[in-house]
Amino acid sequence: MSSDVRFTDFKSDKQPTWCPGCGDFGTMNGMMKALANTGNDPDNTFVVAGIGCSGKIGTYMHSYALHGVHGRALPVGTGVKMARPDIEVMVAGGDGDGYSIGAGHFVHAVRRNVDMTYVVMDNRIYGLTKGQASPTSRSDFETSTTPEGPKQPPVNPLALALASGASFIAQSFASDALRHQEIVQEAIEHDGFGFVNVFSPCVTFNDVDTYDYFRDTLVDLEEEGHDPTDYEAAKEVILDGEKEFQGVMYKEENSVPYHEQHGVTENMSEIPDGAPDDAMDLVREFY
Amino acid sequence: MAEDLNWAIGGEAGDGIDSTGKIFAQALSRAGRHVFTSKDFASRIRGGYTAYKIRTAVDDVQSVVDRLDILVALTQRTIDENLDELHEGSAIIYDGERSWEAEIPDEMTAVDVPLKSLAEDAGGAIMRNVVALGAACEITGFDVEYLDESLEKRFGGKGSKIVENNKQAARLGQEYVQENYDLDHLGYDLETTDEDYVLLNGNEAIGMGAIAAGCRFYAGYPITPATSIMEYLTGRIEDYGGHVVQAEDELSAINMALGAARGGARSMTATSGAGIDLMTETFGLVATSETPLVIADVQRSGPSTGMPTKQEQGDLNMALYGGHGEVPRFVVAPTSITECFWKTIEAFNLAEKYQTPVFLVSDLAMSVTEQTFPPEAFDMDEVEIDRGKLVDEDEVDEWLDAQGRFRAHAVTDDGVSPRAIPGATDGAHMSTGLEHDELGRRTEDEDERVQQVDKRNRKVETAKEQESWEYREFGNSDADNLVISWGSNEGALVEALDYLEEDDIDVRVLSVPYIFPRPDLSDEIEAADETIVVECNATGQFADVIEHDVLTRVKRINKYTGVRFKADELAEEITQKLTEEVPA
Repeated sequence: MSSDVRFTDFKSDKQPTWCPGCGDFGTMNGMMKALANTGNDPDNTFVVAGIGCSGKIGTYMHSYALHGVHGRALPVGTGVKMARPDIEVMVAGGDGDGYSIGAGHFVHAVRRNVDMTYVVMDNRIYGLTKGQASPTSRSDFETSTTPEGPKQPPVNPLALALASGASFIAQSFASDALRHQEIVQEAIEHDGFGFVNVFSPCVTFNDVDTYDYFRDTLVDLEEEGHDPTDYEAAKEVILDGEKEFQGVMYKEENSVPYHEQHGVTENMSEIPDGAPDDAMDLVREFY
Repeated sequence: MAEDLNWAIGGEAGDGIDSTGKIFAQALSRAGRHVFTSKDFASRIRGGYTAYKIRTAVDDVQSVVDRLDILVALTQRTIDENLDELHEGSAIIYDGERSWEAEIPDEMTAVDVPLKSLAEDAGGAIMRNVVALGAACEITGFDVEYLDESLEKRFGGKGSKIVENNKQAARLGQEYVQENYDLDHLGYDLETTDEDYVLLNGNEAIGMGAIAAGCRFYAGYPITPATSIMEYLTGRIEDYGGHVVQAEDELSAINMALGAARGGARSMTATSGAGIDLMTETFGLVATSETPLVIADVQRSGPSTGMPTKQEQGDLNMALYGGHGEVPRFVVAPTSITECFWKTIEAFNLAEKYQTPVFLVSDLAMSVTEQTFPPEAFDMDEVEIDRGKLVDEDEVDEWLDAQGRFRAHAVTDDGVSPRAIPGATDGAHMSTGLEHDELGRRTEDEDERVQQVDKRNRKVETAKEQESWEYREFGNSDADNLVISWGSNEGALVEALDYLEEDDIDVRVLSVPYIFPRPDLSDEIEAADETIVVECNATGQFADVIEHDVLTRVKRINKYTGVRFKADELAEEITQKLTEEVPA
C-alpha cells in the first residue's frame, strides 16, 4: 500500500457512457476518493459490479475488478473477501440489481456481515432497459410497463438491511459530493458489511426523483444530531415514511466481520506445490 | 469367482440402518476383506423403506449382484422388497418378539433372534441392530471381535461404557444363535487377511482430492446426493486455512466460488440436478472472465425433481452444452471411487492451466457407495499441482501494454492468457461477462470479438494436444465385441466380464473418464464387430456423442429405473444385445 495514492489512480482511461448529468458520475467519484482516503490502492482493491448502468463502474474505475451477471455481485464479493481477507472489496450495484434480482443475496450478505462495502446507485428506475419500474419506484410512478404506477409500495432497502441484522446502514446523495464521500469512507472503515444506498438521479427516465427533489427534501442526520449507535433511533429514522435522509443511520459498535467469526485469516491464494505434508492422515481416517 | 457374501440390513429410515451397515462394512474391511456397499433409500427423513447392502470377498469386488445371502429384516417390507434377490440358501434374521409376524419363505433359513430383549440385557433397546450384527457374525463364522474396532470408532466419542455395552450386545446376538440354532455357518468360511484397507465413498474421495489439490474455498447449497462433499470439507478444510460457505442458493454458491477463484484460491462448488440448472447462468461468465473453477455435478434422477435419491446419468448434455452462447469447458467424469480422488485433482490443474470451468461429473451410485482400497490408491506423494500461467509481480511487466495496463485477456497462441491475482503490483484489471478486448474492457468490435472467441476455444485445442485424454481398458483387447461406458458403470462391467467369460463371450471394455475433450474411439469401434454403449439414462447421451464422433451407429444399453447396473444383470443384457440387429 503506497501512501501517495491519489483518487485519480482509481480512474481508468475509459470515458463513461452514462448520460450527461447521471448521478452515477458523482457516486463513482466519491467511491474513488473514499478508497484513496482510506489508504487503498488499485492493486489491493477489488471492485465487483452486476448488470445495468451501475454495473459499468468496473470499466471506469481502475482496480482488480469483475463485472458479473445480473444481481449476483454480492456473492462474488463474498468469495473474494473470504479468499483474500487482505484485499479491500467494494461491491457496486443498482436498485434493480440489488433489490430485485439480487434481493435474496442482499439479505444474506447483510446477515453474514461480510467485510465489504456495498454501494447501491438507487435511481428508482430501470435506466439501461429504458425506463421501467424498479423495486424502489413510487407506487404511483408511471412507466412503460406500469402505465398507472406499480400500485405496490416500494422496497425500503434500509429497513430490509435493518431487519436482516445489518451492522452498518447509510444513505447518501450523489450530488452532495463531500457528504457522499465521507459516508462511503465510513462504510469502508467499518469492520463488516458497510451498506450505502446512494440517491443517484436518472436524468433521462425519472422526472420525479430528481436532483432538485432531493436537494429540497433531503435531511442530513448529522445536522439533526442523530446517534448512529442508537438502534432505536436508527429504527425510527429508517422506518420514517415521510422524510428522505442522508447520513449514517446505524452502526454496530462491536461488529465482527464474517471471516473473523469463522477464523479465516490466511490468504487462500498460496498453496503447497503438492498435497499438504500431513495429507496421508486424510486417507488413514478411513481405516 | 472367489466366494463372496451378500449381506443387507433393511428397515425404516431412522432405524439406524446406515450406521449399522457401516459398522459391519468397517469390520469386514479391518479383517482384510474387500467390501462394496450400496444403499437403497427414500427421500424422507423418517419412515419409508431403507436398506444398506454389503458385498464382501477376499478378492476385489466392484459391483452389486442380484443375490442376497444374509438379510437382517427389521420390517416385513424389507423381506418383500428383497424377495427376488433371496434364494434357497439365504438366511433371514428377524425379531420374532416384535409385533409383526415375519412371513419367510419355507426354503429359507429363518433365524429368529429376540433383538430388542437381548439389546435391553446389554444396556438398551437402541442396540438391537448391533445384536443382529453379532448374530450375522455367528451365522457366517466371522469373528465377532472384528466388530469391536468398528464399535469403538463409532461410539468412542460417547464414552467407554457405551462401547462396552455395544460389544456385549454383539456377543449376546452371537451366543443366542450359537445356543439355539445348528447352522454350521451355513457353509461360509469368511477368510480374513492381513491387508489394511480404507473404506470410503465417491463423495468422500472428491472432498479428499479437493484438499489434496489445494482447494481452499468451497461454496454450496445442500442437495442430495452432493451434500456429503460439503459435509466432508466442513471441519477439514479449515485445518488447511480454507473455508466452506453454505450459500443461500446455488446461484450464490457458484458466484461465491467464482469470487474466491478471482481472489486466487483454488475454489469449487458441487451440486446435483436442479442445482446445476440454477448455476447454469454463471457458466458463461466463468468462461469469458477466464476464471479457474471446478463445478461438480453428482447426478441423480431427473428431470425436474425426478427421483432425488435414485441413480441416473442424465446430466451429460447439461455438462457438455449447458449455458447460453458457446461456453468452452472441460468435462471430466470419474469412473471409480479412486478416480473421484484423482480426477478431482486433475480438474483443479486443468481449471488453472486453462483458466476455464471444469465440470466434474459423478453420479449418485458412486457418491453413496463405499468401497475398500489399499491406502496407496490415494498416495499423496503422487499429487502434482500445476497453477498454470499465474504471474507474479515480476512477470506482470511482460504483459503490460504501452500505457502500462495489464493484458489479462491477451490473445496468445495457446489461447491461455497470463493471470494476475489481487495484490500483484500493476496487475489490476477488470474481467467481464461482456465480450471484451485484451484489457478486459467491453467491445463489440468484430475483429476483437472473433479474436477472443477463437482465443478461448483455442484453450481446448491446446489441451487436446497437451493433455492425455485416455480411456481405461478391461477384458480381452482382441475381442470383436466392444462395450463402452462412462461414470460408475465401470465396476459392474468389469465383473460382468467374469460372467460373460463363463459363457465364452469375449468382450473388450473401454471405460471413458473424459467426456470433453474425449478420446477418439474411431479405430476401436471400426475394429469391432459390435459396439454397445452402456449408460444410466433413457436416451443414450454418451452414445449420441460417440455416434457423432465416429459417424457409425452403436447399440445401447440404457437403464433408468433409478437403480445402478448390477454385474450379473449387465452380463445378461450384453449377451442379449449382441444378437440384436444394429438400429438403422
